[in-house]
Amino acid sequence: MPHDELERILRDTLQREVAESAPRLEGLEERILSDLGERRPRLGLVEWLGQLLAPTRGGRVGQFAIVGATAAAFLLIGLFISGDLLDRVSPPQFELAPAVASGAAPMADEDSVSGDQQVLFVVPAPLNAKTVVVVGDFNHWEETALTDDDHDGIWTATIPLAPGRYEYGFLIDGRWWGEDPRADEHVQSFGEYSSVRYVGRGGDGA
Amino acid sequence: MYRVQDEVSLLRASLDGDTGAWGEMISRYKDAVFGLCLGFLRNRADAEDVAHDAFIRAYVNLRRFHLDKRFSTWLFTIAANLCRNRLRYRKNHPVAELPDQIKGGSDPAGDVAREDRQTKVREALGRLPYGYRAPLVLRFYNDLAYQEIAGILSIPEGTVKTRIHRGKAMLKQLMEEGA
Repeated sequence: MPHDELERILRDTLQREVAESAPRLEGLEERILSDLGERRPRLGLVEWLGQLLAPTRGGRVGQFAIVGATAAAFLLIGLFISGDLLDRVSPPQFELAPAVASGAAPMADEDSVSGDQQVLFVVPAPLNAKTVVVVGDFNHWEETALTDDDHDGIWTATIPLAPGRYEYGFLIDGRWWGEDPRADEHVQSFGEYSSVRYVGRGGDGA
Repeated sequence: MYRVQDEVSLLRASLDGDTGAWGEMISRYKDAVFGLCLGFLRNRADAEDVAHDAFIRAYVNLRRFHLDKRFSTWLFTIAANLCRNRLRYRKNHPVAELPDQIKGGSDPAGDVAREDRQTKVREALGRLPYGYRAPLVLRFYNDLAYQEIAGILSIPEGTVKTRIHRGKAMLKQLMEEGA
């Protein structure tokens, strides 16, 4: 199926789903306004302080006292939070992102803990790269982060994988890189390359 | 009476407590917001709930919106964040079968080949990971530019392009698997 046709079908399908749901949307305005009741847009801090400082019959002295007391309270809370945060600071831990889909419907069986091989993914990225992630069949094309703790431009991640064939690629600062020299083969789809790794059954897997 | 007014006037009136003006804004955006939520969540009841919440939140927090910015982007960001929260909730509180879940379905009166393709797209969209589904919905339902999608989903523009590209490839593959 050509790209243009897929896009057209996707567009038509999404529009049609909304059209089919039209009865649900009837009267939505009234329901929302009814739920809002007397609620009005919340005042921001600046507007709130402005209202407090505005001259009224009550006089300004009392209002300045309120503002002063509020500012002091914010200061105390700020000091408390910053102290609390300092206590909580700990060295960063290396942790692989979970290799499961975040969507409601996983595409495949997620249970692949026992009998897995530790597969190393390595990317030589530009020294100024900020993020490197791997996406592929094994993580349902969700992102698993690679790390470069010693800042030498070599980003790595070790992912436990069950024996099988896995198609994958990397995103270096969001840009696709699908030609991993460590891959067992490369495949082309939609005009770009992806890498394929065979784990077990003859694939090096590491 | 609001039809002739521009969006900024409606927003200013809403800020002044004119709920009729906010009602007009809901009318203008309810299809877009509901469509976004339905595309993201693949469930009609959840989509209606979240679209409803998005308009409430947007109104209550309207003073945080800068009138010189694009209102739709701000509103879609609120809706997208609420959808993400709802998906997290669904993940942690799974149920066997959600009511109103989008499935294949077909219109007997429609063109058979077209119906078949749309059924496959619906099923494939439900199986596509959220990270790829969301940019596709924003691009092909909401007609947004890559830059806007990046802002709404808080991901780099390059990642949006890649995910749309990969998402289409995965969608095609899923459709073929379901053939």
